[in-house]
Amino acid sequence: MIVSAHELTEGQTLEADICIVGAGAAGIAMALALIDSPLSVLLLESGGFEADAQTQALYEGGVADARLHSPPDRYRQRRFGGSTTIWGGRCMPFDAIDFEARAFVADSGWPIGLDDVLPFYPQANRLCEAGAFAYTASTAFRVPPRPMMAGFASTNFTTDALERFSCPTDFGARYAHKLRAARNIRVVLHANVTQLQANSAATHIDALRVQTLQGRQYTARAHRYVLSTGGLEVPRLLLASRDRQPTGIGNAHDVVGRYYMCHLAGTIGTLRFTGPVDAIHHGYDVADEGVYCRRRLALLPETQRAQQLGNFIARLHHPRITDPAHRNAVLSLLFLAKAFIPYEYAKRLHGDEIVSTRQWLAHMGNVAARPFDALAFAWHMLRDRKLAERKFPSIIIRSRANLYSLDFHAEQQPNRNSRVTLGTGRDALGMAQLCVDWRYTPSDVDTVQRALALLARDIERSGIGRLDYDPATVEDEMTRYGAYGGHHIGTARMGTDPRSSVVDASCRVHSVENLYIAGAAVFPTSSQANPTLTIVALALRLAAHLKATAKPR
Amino acid sequence: MMKVLVLGIEEFIGQRVAVALSRCGWAQPFGDPAGIQAAGLEGVIPLSGTSAGSASMVAALDCIDAVVNCVSSSPRAVGDTAQRLFTAARQSGTPPLVVHISSMAVYGAVEGSVDEDTGLTGELGPYAQAKVAAEGLANSYPRRIILRPGCEYGPGGELWSGRVARFLVAGRLGDLGAAGDGICNLVHVDDLASAVLLGLDNPAAVGGTFNLAVSDPPTWNEYFLRFAIALGAVPVRRISRRALALETKVLAPPLKILELALKKSGAGAAVPAPLPPSFLRLACQEIRLDCSRAGDTLQWNCRPLDQGLAETAAWFRQQQ
Repeated sequence: MIVSAHELTEGQTLEADICIVGAGAAGIAMALALIDSPLSVLLLESGGFEADAQTQALYEGGVADARLHSPPDRYRQRRFGGSTTIWGGRCMPFDAIDFEARAFVADSGWPIGLDDVLPFYPQANRLCEAGAFAYTASTAFRVPPRPMMAGFASTNFTTDALERFSCPTDFGARYAHKLRAARNIRVVLHANVTQLQANSAATHIDALRVQTLQGRQYTARAHRYVLSTGGLEVPRLLLASRDRQPTGIGNAHDVVGRYYMCHLAGTIGTLRFTGPVDAIHHGYDVADEGVYCRRRLALLPETQRAQQLGNFIARLHHPRITDPAHRNAVLSLLFLAKAFIPYEYAKRLHGDEIVSTRQWLAHMGNVAARPFDALAFAWHMLRDRKLAERKFPSIIIRSRANLYSLDFHAEQQPNRNSRVTLGTGRDALGMAQLCVDWRYTPSDVDTVQRALALLARDIERSGIGRLDYDPATVEDEMTRYGAYGGHHIGTARMGTDPRSSVVDASCRVHSVENLYIAGAAVFPTSSQANPTLTIVALALRLAAHLKATAKPR
Repeated sequence: MMKVLVLGIEEFIGQRVAVALSRCGWAQPFGDPAGIQAAGLEGVIPLSGTSAGSASMVAALDCIDAVVNCVSSSPRAVGDTAQRLFTAARQSGTPPLVVHISSMAVYGAVEGSVDEDTGLTGELGPYAQAKVAAEGLANSYPRRIILRPGCEYGPGGELWSGRVARFLVAGRLGDLGAAGDGICNLVHVDDLASAVLLGLDNPAAVGGTFNLAVSDPPTWNEYFLRFAIALGAVPVRRISRRALALETKVLAPPLKILELALKKSGAGAAVPAPLPPSFLRLACQEIRLDCSRAGDTLQWNCRPLDQGLAETAAWFRQQQ
């Protein structure tokens, strides 16, 4: 059943065995996994089916350095489906090394291993509509696709690693029919949870305060509560609930909101291949299920250990769009179409660079010089992306000159001083707004610098080409657009020691017997992998735990 | 030898039941002469007075031990055959054992796990109504077994095999998203035939009703993918809601009219098969047949789905 809070009687108490707060990837995955269980489930969502400016404004807050982090109301969506409504769809699992305690990565180590999550990845993959759980080119295809870079030989990187792409699946639109039909699930839209009401010792959540933007108030009571509101909103709610614990729920040791991680990503260098153009395959292969898959250059775990580096991957990429010197009609068309591309994507496509009138004219000249290239690309994007339900994931430009740049995506290491706190501002419901102080460390720069150096060396040694870049610019490039948007990780980290973590291995808040957290907030480390697939897998794991341990009323 | 009359022997299920009977070693199949000829069956003894046009089946049943009613070609044929069969069976000097093949359509639009005690409804249209009515007649006859199969697939099957294969090859079916989340209760036609034999050979089955479907049924999306892989029709396409609406609401009606007109005129020109709205209704229906009774009473098992799909794909390729 799906209802709006507006339809409920004011002051009503909503009761269930399990109350999940937030209907994004984690919340919806959990609710789906609990369908037909003996447990009654209440899923509270702040937004409705459509985007709403007033609701979205509840995400507003401050950032310590606007150059390093986007405003908190960007890259996330407060509506049914959560941020999957604007998701890019890239899926890949974490690597085994990501779970390990690594001496060279401070505060690393999960209390669980990859084996604990593996049973849930295939179902997570299905929910994400990313096809089979097969993340190497050698296992995903019956006929192996051609090599990514013919002749590339490396003991440090593999090109067998795959990323698979979801449609991308808007979890709200895709699974609403299942939640609507489920007899034991009740979804309440427009229901904002503004406070966790704990007992006097703050060891048990008694109820949740629920408010609507129209001023109605409700109470939600359940045996167990799950916060699945995302890596920024989870600490906000914990920190803002301080009537029993002055530092916030679960925050006796000042860990909530700390260790905030994103990913370090950027585009760098010029990669010139010397062989035939056909020897390079940087685009997509399509698996039997119709899923787009793409190879990546993944830093091997042996090298990470030997070189004491964080996790790192790279992909072949087109030259920088803003510079018309690429003389590519398609890239110039993308530049000129900036106003029509959503903020979350336009920022990384174009950055905030100031482009002169002369450069604008040069871009127009590029389009005019090869109008059919631009038209063919526009048609491809209309047919295969705009109109398609399974969307072509990204812009792939085949270089006739065998010239590319390198797109990298690296692990950000845990840093206690990178954090989110409550600011002084208040939202329309009276909740304290967030202040984001995202920080990176020299270790993060070192990972990218040395991984790039290894890759450049291996490419050159393979005799297939050459990667030229200025090592001195690595830090600038990896922070050019600030923290990678949308990946909000680590703010309620998992661990065994309450002094350095917020939740235990089952995702239960250490000090609260009936409060759980689902989402990237619990990741102690960030991996190189985009977080959504692992968010869903961990949510399914938590649902299995609740099914096994929670008793129905 | 048990003498078994197969009604609807010219149809997909009737043919496979007749073949299974002729091979089992303890039964002798009988059938309508024209049907035997149309199906090109060997080892089946023609028996007059069993065709749809026959006024009464009473005389024909005199020499018969059991009847398997496989008729499902049209709602009218289902109703007429059941009426004639059970009337004649009651009048017969030695009432034969009747295995009546019904359909999961009798459960209507219900969702969830469905066992044989679930109430019947004809809400899904004339075919379901005819099947419900036929079961009513069957229930008034004590020496009967009712089988309620899911979607019968397998070599020779047009509805759930040949038609689906053509849609997959043409890219008109594939990954339907939410529209294909329903449960696809497939049953291989030869597994259905084996259930018929198990029923005929098991006194404990008499008077019983049995659901029949694969034990771990896939969703329709999974079925389409696995069948497409077996057919080599991959990668499958994601079919958008827009495209499905176009197929079922805009294209299907004129295609159906054209198909009927060409059939009536005798013209041989082929038109693409319509994708009817009823097909899409079923593809999103989350109904799961509980087949535990067939397993417990009949000791019935079915083959792995991928094995059945491989056989079906091989048949389809041969047809092409």
